[in-house]
Amino acid sequence: MSDDGATELLPPHVSADFYLWLWYTSEARGGRFTLEDGTLVEVYLDDRLALRDTGEERPTTLLTGDSPGTTPEARAAVLGGKVPKELRLLVRREDREYHVTLRGERVGLAGAKLATQVKSGEVLEVLMDRMFVYEELHWLVSCLLRQFAVERVSESWRADAVPAMRAWLSTLDAEASGG
Amino acid sequence: MGILKGPLSGRRYRIVGEVPDNFTDDYIHALNTNQHREPQSPAHKGESMGWCQVHNLLDVDFTDINRWLYNQYALIALRVDKKAVPARLLRAHLEKKMEAWCKENNRPKVPAAVKEELKEALEFDMLQKTLPRVQTWEVCWNMQDGWAFFTNDGELPNERFQKLFLRTFGLRAVPWSPLDELTGTEGLAETLVSAGATDLRGGGR
Repeated sequence: MSDDGATELLPPHVSADFYLWLWYTSEARGGRFTLEDGTLVEVYLDDRLALRDTGEERPTTLLTGDSPGTTPEARAAVLGGKVPKELRLLVRREDREYHVTLRGERVGLAGAKLATQVKSGEVLEVLMDRMFVYEELHWLVSCLLRQFAVERVSESWRADAVPAMRAWLSTLDAEASGG
Repeated sequence: MGILKGPLSGRRYRIVGEVPDNFTDDYIHALNTNQHREPQSPAHKGESMGWCQVHNLLDVDFTDINRWLYNQYALIALRVDKKAVPARLLRAHLEKKMEAWCKENNRPKVPAAVKEELKEALEFDMLQKTLPRVQTWEVCWNMQDGWAFFTNDGELPNERFQKLFLRTFGLRAVPWSPLDELTGTEGLAETLVSAGATDLRGGGR
């Protein structure tokens, strides 16, 4: 952590790996994640997935609509060397459901639909409710990032995770071609 | 879209430094000092920037803390006004003025100095008739936990926010980094950063 005002972003390949891991793991685990405190949370790829060529800043493939992660285009893009730049997630914890786009090396939150209870009324009530759920969403994303980081630096990443992701992509490929 | 309603987008910051125990009077003064002010001349060209209330961008007085302080949250908005004359319209009017000048003075061409005078006078007139482009972005500052959320993701608005925040409160707003979340495990952030890219095309790491 720096206090000198510098912004330490995730290097592009790390944020791309994080998004790929979220996408893959949400499908491989049926959307279920157990967080560090034992909390169960469901995470699904929602209706938007943008990929970019390695070394490029702008997304070159944008997939929208239902389950964009299961499309042949998404698979072809990754197998062709593209990496995720942003993805929209559905995140559910207990009875609270969030829709949020994670974007770029900052892992920025965009278009976050918060699971608020108070829809109108006094400013104080609305603000407290919205900040409570915003904090929860920020915490959930941070937990997922930490979980990814631990897996990414472990030996099992190369030995297990990468082959599993390749197999997952091959499955999508076979399904897409009707095999 | 913003802090109080609609989908939320923007950037999170860590606020570095302590909020004084009895901050209200100081912060009221600081906010009022850095409130948004309309330019004195209606022909003012360029930008004006300052704080306003989230409830109405015309409300720029922060004396009543009940309008901006909600428990541990300070809720304010950054207002930026920009006034400029449409360049093509200015050019078109200037050509007409120059044609008229040539006719009046029976000259084939307008001297550079005269052209500049005509342009300045024209721009002055047009600016007086032009309304500024007004933009506001909200800031929610959790003074207890030391973070803030700014509802814009663009570089320039965020730079302005950081500058004005520092000038107003004497505290630095440092962009939140995802790596901040990894500091609990020694060496994790460094190892992650030095990890190579995962390549799924073949023989990847």
